[in-house]
Amino acid sequence: MPEITKTVLNRVEGEITLKLIWENDVIKDAFIIAPNFRGFEFILEGKPPLDALVITPRICGICGHAHLMASTFALEQIYKSAGYKLEISEKARLIRNITLACEIIQNHIRWFYIFVYPDFLSLENKVSLKDFEPIKGKKWRKAVDFSSKIVKIISIFGGQWPHTSYSLPGGVMCEPTNMEIVSAVGIVDEVLRYFEEDIIGMNIEDYLQITSLREFINKSSGDLATFIKLSKKFHLHKTGRAYNRFISVADFDTLFCSGITSRKKRLFDIKKVKEVDTYSYLLKDKSFSFDKKKYSWSKAVRYEGLPYETGPLARQINSENQLFLNLNKKLRDSYLVRIWARVDEIGKLLVFVKNCLKKINIKEPSYIKPVKDIKELEGEGYGLVEAARGSLIHRVSVKEGKIKDYNIITPSVWNLGPRCRKYLSPAEKAIIGQKSELTAHMILRSFDVCSVCTTH
Amino acid sequence: MYTLLWLQGLTCNGNTQSLLNAENPSFYTLFDKINLLYHPSISYDVDLFEIINQIKNDKLPLTFLVVEGSITSDKRFFSIGDYSIAQIIDALKEKADYIIAVGNCACFGNIPANFDKNSDVKGLQFRFKEKKGFLPSNFKSKKGYPVINISGCPIHPQWFVSTILNLLYKKPVYLDGFNRPKELYMYLTHDGCTRNEYFEWKVELEEFGHKEGCLFYNQGCRGPLTHSPCNKVLWNNTSSKTRAGMPCIGCTEFDFPLRENFFETKKNMGIPEEVPIGVSKRVYITITGVAKTLKNERVNKRLEETE
Repeated sequence: MPEITKTVLNRVEGEITLKLIWENDVIKDAFIIAPNFRGFEFILEGKPPLDALVITPRICGICGHAHLMASTFALEQIYKSAGYKLEISEKARLIRNITLACEIIQNHIRWFYIFVYPDFLSLENKVSLKDFEPIKGKKWRKAVDFSSKIVKIISIFGGQWPHTSYSLPGGVMCEPTNMEIVSAVGIVDEVLRYFEEDIIGMNIEDYLQITSLREFINKSSGDLATFIKLSKKFHLHKTGRAYNRFISVADFDTLFCSGITSRKKRLFDIKKVKEVDTYSYLLKDKSFSFDKKKYSWSKAVRYEGLPYETGPLARQINSENQLFLNLNKKLRDSYLVRIWARVDEIGKLLVFVKNCLKKINIKEPSYIKPVKDIKELEGEGYGLVEAARGSLIHRVSVKEGKIKDYNIITPSVWNLGPRCRKYLSPAEKAIIGQKSELTAHMILRSFDVCSVCTTH
Repeated sequence: MYTLLWLQGLTCNGNTQSLLNAENPSFYTLFDKINLLYHPSISYDVDLFEIINQIKNDKLPLTFLVVEGSITSDKRFFSIGDYSIAQIIDALKEKADYIIAVGNCACFGNIPANFDKNSDVKGLQFRFKEKKGFLPSNFKSKKGYPVINISGCPIHPQWFVSTILNLLYKKPVYLDGFNRPKELYMYLTHDGCTRNEYFEWKVELEEFGHKEGCLFYNQGCRGPLTHSPCNKVLWNNTSSKTRAGMPCIGCTEFDFPLRENFFETKKNMGIPEEVPIGVSKRVYITITGVAKTLKNERVNKRLEETE
């Protein structure tokens, strides 16, 4: 007889319940249950369009800024599809990229030290990892300090983090001085030094030349190298694999490319994205069903009918980064590769932020007022953003000065949503075959679970 | 031994994330003095339900019960394991020395309470303006306080840290009409804003994206109408929304999600429908007229061009 275990998983954003079906001490099936629902898409209906800029960031406390950008882009697209020219200065574009990147850097540092590393305290002897212990450990504390430091840059431009709404159709609300911009450069330098000294254990230029696991391990003794060694010790370099299919819906400036990679890389096409509500309490027509087979508030999402993994690993693969193409060839989309891709992004994004900061010309306008009030327009717009956890899609339609419909597909829906008739979600698939509950939890965490975004 | 248990209801986790940003002192240094029993984002080797049972059976003292997120007893919309958040709070409410609501969701219900398909969403002791929250209006925790509301969407980390330290050092915490610590919420968001000079001389910001100009008259800024020390205790120890150029949206007040058009000032014949706290419309009109007549040259120039 199969045995069923049900665990409330913590150390994720929000809470997730994991239901596992065991047979002969092996996980035969896994159900990722997102049990909580706030109804943001319902709340947005009938609101003035620009209010979305205040409401959608509050979907998520850790990646709210990505929601702000998605709302901004979706509303801007309404202008474009209605045939109005909407001008955005290069300065505003740079500032938006900077603050979005800083939020992602913050997320990745916190996630690696607060959510991922503590799992090894349960696997490995605690003495050797005492610096990683929550609250008390030196490295845990340092990660909190530096992740808090990088969001000061968002505060310089947007006034605060979390939950600013400083970006709107036409640009940004701030007008930074050069002094403020260089103090942001100073912050990047400090966080970059921390990344080099503590996380990668080498300077960034050398790190960016690395193309294999062995080469990195031989050269580094940083926390990432320790993590890689621990993962190998517990066989996590070859486990936790999903479909090895990757989606990224937007370019991140010139740093990361959008795309669809299964065997070959193709261009992303929004028309091929479909939501599936077979196992979701929330139906596509916005009604509810509590039918017995339903188990999550999240809908599933499929591209050409197939599940795809999104997130930093997808970005690296779609951008054809040599290190990750090599790692993927050898180890596929394993626990180790997925996590390394996230940590790797911290460095690339820091360098990117610094370059963007240096490029800001303060003489350009921050905001160019759109020719018409958005309340006078009608139409539909998409906002596509690469957020910390991957591809975020907002779709808004505006009619008679109000939001008629708002639909949100978060990165966590791609990765952790429920199954459809044919396929498990990537994270459900990655868990099957595990022999311990702890490694099942670890694999789930490797997707950087955000349950508040999953259901919103 | 002081202890703290952190529970989450319907939340975005933003208060936790904000709290991790705390400096002087850091969030984690609080736990040199307090034993953190459980926090959903932090704990790694403890079982929440075991802790709840121990508290229920008086085997563990509970100094601070901290709640982030709105409360619903409808398990279809929120559950932790087999329980609703309402059941868990019910089991612990008599055991805690202090109950602290962090963020507007736990204080007033906030955005989730606007979801009309679940009419049972509330704050701990309030639902928006009314004392019709999950706990009775006369509820007091063991030390004689009602639920202490630290409002904000999200809270500023220092507000939480200061409140906890105040209680730890046995200083009284005076509360305002919404049971918020008075010493924090006696300020207006407006106080300390770098744009105050423009407010005084009624130099309005015409459109977004400028250092100069006050956001109150055109952009819907709630600074003079909102209780918070946002411009006294700066965000991320760096800035504030109004300093950066974003209007205050009044997110520390009960009516934050009930208002609309956050970036517009509602006006009637050119006069804002709501005027700063403490003055009548007549006073506001008079002072505006005087300020506009007696022109201040400095505030009519770009800052770089001033003497």
